[in-house]
Amino acid sequence: MNIYVKIAYTFLGLMIVLNWGMLMRVTFRKIGARMAGRHGVPFRQPWIDLIKNIAVRTTLTHGVMFYLGPVFRFSGAVGLFLFMPILFGKEAWMNFSFEGDLVLILYFQLFGMLGMALGAGEGGQPHSAIGISRGLAQHAAVELPMTMGIIALAIQYQTLSISEIVAAQQGGFLHWSFFTNPVASAAIMLSALGAFGYSPFNLVKAPNEIPIGPPTEYHGTYLGVLMTSGNILGVMETILFMNLVFGGATNWFELIIKSFLIYFYAVFVGMVFPRFRIEQSVAWFFKIPLLLGFIAILMYSF
Amino acid sequence: MVTPIYIVATALGVGFAIGVLNKLGRNFTGGLVLTAIAFMTFISFQWFAGFYSGNQLPEYIFTAGFQPPLSINLLMGPFEAFFSLMVNAIGLVGGIYMFNSLKERGSNAQVVYLILLMGLNVMIMTRDIFNLFVFMEIASISIAGLILLESGTRSMGAGFKYILATSVISSFLLIGVIFAYYFVGSLNIDDLITSNLHLVKGGSIAIFLIMMAVILELKPFPANGWGLDVYEGSDAGLSAVISGASASASLYVLYKLMAIAGPEWNYYISLLGAITFVGSNLLGIKQENTRRMLGYSSIGQLGLLTLIIGFKDILGENTIYIAFGILISHYLAKAGLFWLSGIIKSKGLKGWSVVRKHPFFLFLMGTFVFALIGFPPFPSFFAKWTLVMDLTATGNIAWVVAILFGSMMEAVYLFRWLGYAIKAENDHIEPVKIEWSKIIPVWIAALSLYGIGYYTAQLSEIGSGINFIPFLFVAVLLALDFLPIFIKNTLAIAGMAYYFYTVYPSLDNLRLIFEVIFMVGGILALIAGYAYKGTRSGFYPVAILMYAGLTGIIEANTTLEFFYGWELMTAGSYFLIIRGKRSMPHGLSYMLFSIGGAYALLAAFGMAQVSQISSDLDIINHITYLPQWAYGLLIAGFLTKTASVGLHIWLPGAHGEAESDVSPMVSAILLKAGVFGLVLALIGMGAADNQFSGLAYTLGWVGAITALVGNLMAVFQEDAKRLLAYSSIGQLGYIVFALAIMTHLGWLTAFTYSINHFMYKAILFLTIGAVVLRVGTHDMYKMGGLISRMPFAFIAVLIGIIALSGVPPLSGFAGKWLFYNAVLDKGWYFQGIIVFFAGGIAFLYLWRLIHTIFLGQLKDNHRNVKDISIWFAIPIYILIMGIMVFSVKPEWVLQPLGEILAPYFPNGQVNWVAGSASTALGYWSGTKVFITVVGVFAIAFAFLAISTRKAHKLKQFDIVFSGERPDRPETTHIAWNVFAGFYKAVWPATIPLVEKFWDKVTEMLHDTAGFTRRIYSGNGQAYMLHLVLFVLVTYLVIIGG
Repeated sequence: MNIYVKIAYTFLGLMIVLNWGMLMRVTFRKIGARMAGRHGVPFRQPWIDLIKNIAVRTTLTHGVMFYLGPVFRFSGAVGLFLFMPILFGKEAWMNFSFEGDLVLILYFQLFGMLGMALGAGEGGQPHSAIGISRGLAQHAAVELPMTMGIIALAIQYQTLSISEIVAAQQGGFLHWSFFTNPVASAAIMLSALGAFGYSPFNLVKAPNEIPIGPPTEYHGTYLGVLMTSGNILGVMETILFMNLVFGGATNWFELIIKSFLIYFYAVFVGMVFPRFRIEQSVAWFFKIPLLLGFIAILMYSF
Repeated sequence: MVTPIYIVATALGVGFAIGVLNKLGRNFTGGLVLTAIAFMTFISFQWFAGFYSGNQLPEYIFTAGFQPPLSINLLMGPFEAFFSLMVNAIGLVGGIYMFNSLKERGSNAQVVYLILLMGLNVMIMTRDIFNLFVFMEIASISIAGLILLESGTRSMGAGFKYILATSVISSFLLIGVIFAYYFVGSLNIDDLITSNLHLVKGGSIAIFLIMMAVILELKPFPANGWGLDVYEGSDAGLSAVISGASASASLYVLYKLMAIAGPEWNYYISLLGAITFVGSNLLGIKQENTRRMLGYSSIGQLGLLTLIIGFKDILGENTIYIAFGILISHYLAKAGLFWLSGIIKSKGLKGWSVVRKHPFFLFLMGTFVFALIGFPPFPSFFAKWTLVMDLTATGNIAWVVAILFGSMMEAVYLFRWLGYAIKAENDHIEPVKIEWSKIIPVWIAALSLYGIGYYTAQLSEIGSGINFIPFLFVAVLLALDFLPIFIKNTLAIAGMAYYFYTVYPSLDNLRLIFEVIFMVGGILALIAGYAYKGTRSGFYPVAILMYAGLTGIIEANTTLEFFYGWELMTAGSYFLIIRGKRSMPHGLSYMLFSIGGAYALLAAFGMAQVSQISSDLDIINHITYLPQWAYGLLIAGFLTKTASVGLHIWLPGAHGEAESDVSPMVSAILLKAGVFGLVLALIGMGAADNQFSGLAYTLGWVGAITALVGNLMAVFQEDAKRLLAYSSIGQLGYIVFALAIMTHLGWLTAFTYSINHFMYKAILFLTIGAVVLRVGTHDMYKMGGLISRMPFAFIAVLIGIIALSGVPPLSGFAGKWLFYNAVLDKGWYFQGIIVFFAGGIAFLYLWRLIHTIFLGQLKDNHRNVKDISIWFAIPIYILIMGIMVFSVKPEWVLQPLGEILAPYFPNGQVNWVAGSASTALGYWSGTKVFITVVGVFAIAFAFLAISTRKAHKLKQFDIVFSGERPDRPETTHIAWNVFAGFYKAVWPATIPLVEKFWDKVTEMLHDTAGFTRRIYSGNGQAYMLHLVLFVLVTYLVIIGG
């Protein structure tokens, strides 16, 4: 495939993912509102927010790193998209996944997080530092069982290539890792709750009560870039789990259904359970998910 | 050739003459005594030179005109000549040292001193056992006399105890001699030897008593309290003579009489020696009095020598070499230290910090301490090496353990003492008065140690291969220590660069990697030194000493050369580390762990040499004797340098408290010496051989746990440099883990990490060090917001932490990617997970490092700090360029690395196609990922740059926090104004009305006073006017108008 055609397809894919992310998020906002007996925002709200934010004339900056935070975040989100095979067997939608494997994805997730943490830090608002320190602590705890599960899958399929992991799950839903390796899948999906950052693991952002955390430092175009990144990241997280655990997707329809359901799972848990304090959430990941991850690895150790 | 009887004749003659000539004054008699000793020394030297050249045969000297056993005879053989030279030489130099103190005590003391030396000479030379008894008595009484002639109750007590003890010893000897005479009918030692006394019934009791007496004379542990009091209580000069001359003579007497006792005594003699060596050094640890501590050390050294001569049949012809090396080091170093103690005068160990107030005193003291412990280039180093090699080769492992344990104990107290001298506070201590007659002997002892050390190395075939040129460069730098930094730094850099240029073509690729890290890294770290001002006294010799050692281990062809380099490096790095402000305890723990590790290596090399004739370094590739133990010891030795868990406690303090440009030297560079050692050891174990896989497996766990512990501890540090230090422990854990995997991928991971860690840790330590120099604190909570003041430092740290964390697209990711492939390939999942988790934790401390220092609120006292020094920025940005090249073109580094490792691990290599790497499991194109990420980043950056081009730049306090507007950094602290809301409700009640009232009153008082005092104008006319007015006003008031 010609590189220009490739770039065009990739750009198109990015637009689809972005818009699907916005639609998916607003859908869950509405579901949440209805559960709480409110009417909720209209479906067009994310697009309005995005346009409004980018159009805001007054912008303020605390300095260079403050400014680079959203750039890091955006590059992290888009990079994640680029390095991820989106649709199995469709060369046009494999993006740039030939450049690196699962290890690249795992580590590239941190790129945006790091930039974000530093950017908000320059604002000098103490709450940012508190939010980031909580986020990093929780992330370290989430990562352990998740990686154990992922390594178990890598051992099972004897590859670190996401495409090959998806390929191995083709031929009916019983071939999904979810059914062929339920322990590892459970470890991954329980840790995934932490990765999505909904309740009970949302103290990092704590959206409703106190204005803690990095996003509150940003406004205008910065916020627009951050929201765009967030929407892309949301979808990409679901696609990662879809590829690893739920057999990937061979067409856009399948992708949308699967990613919606995976996202729904995180939101559903969030609606039902109240928020953990940070030490509770860290401890939680070190219990059942870690045990499952341990068992998943143990099975391949003998 | 002057016959040795003149030694006795001169001493006696001059002794009697002084009785007549003492009217001519004490200076004259003192000079006469010195001349006599000089003549005695000349006689001994002449004989010694004769024997050394090989032209001289041993000669018997008969007295009184009869043949033995009817009369006494003396023997002058090579040993006698050597020991007599030792006694007379120290007598001469010590006589110069004691010239004034002997003079004060009168001509009698001068005579007694001369007689002491004569007694010792005859003890050495005599072949008649009764004569031996007599002269031992003469020597003992002379020593006691010299002690008693001193003033002070302490010396009185010591002298009295000494007389009592030596009388008891003499009684043993005398009874033994009587028995021996009864059985053999001769007092001649040669007759006693040929008579096979030990086979005669009842003869063994004679032997026992004689041997006990000569062993007791050596002050064996624990029956040596009397000897210790002498060391503590007597004049420092006399202690030096007792330690150097009297003990040496006694040792030779023991050696001489062992021929009578027969070989069955050898074991017991060695055993008593070992007990004394270990016991004395153990007790030495508890000593707080310098002289007593040195006494323990002396007795310990004599124990070691006793052990060695007990092994003379096993050690064979090497006995002389070994005993010579240990004895001469002890003889010179201990004399030097006793002499120094007489100058310093401080009884306590801490008082020795005064040595820093005198140029070169620290150098002298350090020389003696290192010589006693057995560091290169001193004779004891080569002797101890040969001793351990030979004992191991003959299977005497337990003895080796005892020797190394005793040496370790000795190192504990000697290095603690040296640490006090280097670091203890010395403001309140007055400099001492130095007499030339006292300092010259110390210099003679120190310089002789270096000279004889070099000579000792040349004596052995393996030692003569050692390259002393780097060490010579150290000496040159020491001599030029008075020059300003700029010249010395340039010289050091030029020297290292030139040396690297000459040496690199001779190295294989594996060694070249480490040589580049050591030498190029060293040069980069030295560049930062230009930022310092003044002379930076003592820095350059020790820094170059460390680099000399580092290049020494790389260039080593033999195990001895490797060990030589290793010890030089340890010595140099010890001094570098202890230079830090609060580094005293850390320097000590570093030294002790290093010595422990070095002894493990020594024992392992000894085992490797068993059943292999060669001493090439390659022998560690084919260890057959107790190979599990040997490799285990090698690994353990090297793990002390990589600071693996359990052996890591020295590192945080040592690296954290070191100077700003020393931290990268000892972290980014020095730790790789341990890695290099591990690489050699693991290559030796061999990849294919499964015999050692258990050892590698254990090592893997050690590495994994080290990674976790190091990183976890780093998270909780408040001190930036300690944070980085713990991070180094963790990073070295990764490397150890990856090496233990023992596959191509594992080693590729380890080497990638080694190279990366060198670069980013050097960047981070240099940058943080440079920041510390500007802000004057390591504590992160005292910093903040420095990004606005130090943008260059911030960028450097940012790149450093991204590389360290392994986030793509920087080079750290290469290590992570290889790591996953290696772990999955090997199947070490759990260890791999632990290491991976450690990597996750690394984020926490990295964020903490950059955030608390550079982000958040700028502190008021840092509002005017400048960016880091350009001299630090240069090496930092060179290293950043290195990271960037590695990131953009990882194949430039990884592909050659793979080829270097292929001979050791041919299977499972990484495939490279057009810059894309792939393994059986995964794939990665470093360059493409870099371009992709940078491309996306650039687009986002451009978009945001354009859309926010008119953004208003906020000031530091343009934030709202807890509903308040902070205006100073501390007002963003949670505790600041914690009841702000309540205050807003009740503030009228808090107005300090009373305070304001009194303020007003005070103000008015001051105004009045100020106005009133204007009348005191200082003008004479005005004062006259006052008088007149005073009289006038008084008149008006009293008398009225």
